[in-house]
Amino acid sequence: MWGEARVILLFWKMYEVMKMDFEMDEEMISAINKAKEFAEKYFTEELADKMDREEQFPMELLNYSNREGLMDYSNPWKILVTIEELCRKDPGLGISTTVPAFGSEVLMLYGSDMLKEKYLDPVLKGQKIMGLAVTEPGGGSDVASSKTEAKLEGDYYILNGAKMFITNGGIADYFVVLARTSPPPSPDKRHRGMSVFIVESKWEGFKANKIHGKMGVRATNTAELVFENVRVPKENLVGEEGKGFYYIMTFFNISRIYVAAQGLGVAQGILDRLMEHIKKYGPMNSQGEPIENIQFKLAEIATRIEASRGLTYKAASYLFKFNPNPVLTSMAKYYSGETAILASKVAMEIMGLKALNSELERFYRDARILEIWEGTSEIEKLIISRMMLKGGK
Amino acid sequence: MEEEYRILENSVKDFNSKYLDNIVLKIEKEGIPEQVRKAMLEQGFLGMVQLLNGNKVMDKKALSIIIEVLSTSSPSVAMEVFLTNVLFHKLADEQSINEVSQGIKRGTVAFAELMSGYDNENELHMEGEKLIGTKKYVLNSDADLIIASATDGNLYIIKSGFKEIEAHRKLGFRGLKFGKVEFNTKDYVKIGTKEDLVKAYEEAHPFITALAIGIAEGSLMKAIEYSKVRSAFGNLLKDFQPIAFPISMQYNELSMLKNSLYLALSNESETADILFLKMKSIELAKEITKNSIQVHGGYGYIEDYGVEKFYRDIMSLSVLLYNEEEEKKKLASKLYETEAGYI
Repeated sequence: MWGEARVILLFWKMYEVMKMDFEMDEEMISAINKAKEFAEKYFTEELADKMDREEQFPMELLNYSNREGLMDYSNPWKILVTIEELCRKDPGLGISTTVPAFGSEVLMLYGSDMLKEKYLDPVLKGQKIMGLAVTEPGGGSDVASSKTEAKLEGDYYILNGAKMFITNGGIADYFVVLARTSPPPSPDKRHRGMSVFIVESKWEGFKANKIHGKMGVRATNTAELVFENVRVPKENLVGEEGKGFYYIMTFFNISRIYVAAQGLGVAQGILDRLMEHIKKYGPMNSQGEPIENIQFKLAEIATRIEASRGLTYKAASYLFKFNPNPVLTSMAKYYSGETAILASKVAMEIMGLKALNSELERFYRDARILEIWEGTSEIEKLIISRMMLKGGK
Repeated sequence: MEEEYRILENSVKDFNSKYLDNIVLKIEKEGIPEQVRKAMLEQGFLGMVQLLNGNKVMDKKALSIIIEVLSTSSPSVAMEVFLTNVLFHKLADEQSINEVSQGIKRGTVAFAELMSGYDNENELHMEGEKLIGTKKYVLNSDADLIIASATDGNLYIIKSGFKEIEAHRKLGFRGLKFGKVEFNTKDYVKIGTKEDLVKAYEEAHPFITALAIGIAEGSLMKAIEYSKVRSAFGNLLKDFQPIAFPISMQYNELSMLKNSLYLALSNESETADILFLKMKSIELAKEITKNSIQVHGGYGYIEDYGVEKFYRDIMSLSVLLYNEEEEKKKLASKLYETEAGYI
């Protein structure tokens, strides 16, 4: 009997070991290859440079992406590796191509069937563009300080306020908007009384002012939004009134995984170029190897990227099984962003003048956003510590 | 700091508020306007080198203060002053120095070949009596006079017969032209050898330090001011430890470096000490400019707040004026009194 138990235990342990398999399945490998081919075909240096210089959104890339079925929203793993792979080729074009459904997860999780049919379906089919309107002027990471208001009058909420740094702000057809629907019960409960709505950009009273002069990711479209007595039909309330803050925090658990993937892609793209440079130009020692100072830097960047990938995929594995782990998500987001920025700095230093007059110069500017958007690194660190201290996972 | 230098520092600060602070973005986009150049000439910023009995004399500390303070507002303007005084006047002939000091012409030096990553397919060379070829990565590539070395090992001042044929990407110092220049000319004067260029660069370390310190200071002061007025979660940013602690540490580190630079300039310190100061200043400036963007959040990432340019400028400075591997080797070799750190 004990022998039988040992066999069962052995199989159980084998099963546990199998659960730790780090190999990608064929579906993911095929998504990576597809993204790689797409980037090779359409992300020309000429286009990346032009969109960067002129601060233009590469609308034609969305058409190609739709035509070739690049973004398969039925499998989040495929989305994740696609983001990583496209940002590896070019951050500005990569993010622009993978962000047209930004905010749609809020609808997926909490929207009514009517809202999903009317707004989500065309976005996922690539016919319409969506944006998430949460950040406000002077608000930044402090989401609960939002001042945009929605007052119920008859069958409509009347929306007034402004939003800042909104991705897709000038090109989206629909926005997921966070607004206050009732005053907070007390100063320490400011996150209560907020709700989420779907707002169409063609509605009267809506205005988008494109933000010019970003340091990087200049191919992405960013705008300030103004809502002046915008009449939002009552049925465009997403989920329950007063629960908007929680919906947005849940959304951040999803979007931060994708931002971590952006960081991974940017860092990997920099490492690819750095490796190529070092192999070609050194500087080499008398044995024909790159000098050790450079080898050490290379090793550090490569290790950090691999650690970021481990964190990101682990956090994603929890999220995609509907069991998000905010601690891991925040770790992944802040660490991969930090890694991308460090990689861009080291690559500029090693490659010198060659980097200054190449696409690396753009990567250096692009990477810097990754510790800012979708929750600054400071916010991520607070989430990590507070949840751990509270006994969270 | 001695009184005369304090007065100089204040007068350059006044210059910044009068001529630069309000048009920094315009300078980045359109270059240095004529009225600013005129004011720079009137202040003597482009003629800090005096010719006394045929010798070139300059007050290093004064020039360092001017470069540093200008850099806190417009690193592009500071770089113009650096290029003109520290490199061009150091190497040029008397006539050219006079022309540039009086604003009749603008001069620059092609020095990128001393930095890592330099590549050029058709380097400047002699063909008969003509100087032919190109120089890449030339700052102020629209200058009237260019000092450049040729493959024969000599250094020339070239007075005409050249033009910019390719504009390079501009990560930083966007107020200055930056590109590849093509030469086909007989209008040149031999002014020395490439060794003189190397020597001029080595003697430029204190002023490169001043540029870096100015960039760091300009960026840091913006972060300090912003953290005093911007609130988040019901408190001013300055009240949060993750904001206040790094900023105050950086402020103190920067003050120490600044004082060390003034001391080094007063005492004519050893080259290795100045080299170390330069390295530390560039590294600290990179850290400060990165953090200052972070303190500003999304606003730090857009040009209107004038913070992001420092982040770009310091990396450009690092690539253009700091050959890390070579300079660290020099420090190591000095310590061991033999060649070290080359594997």
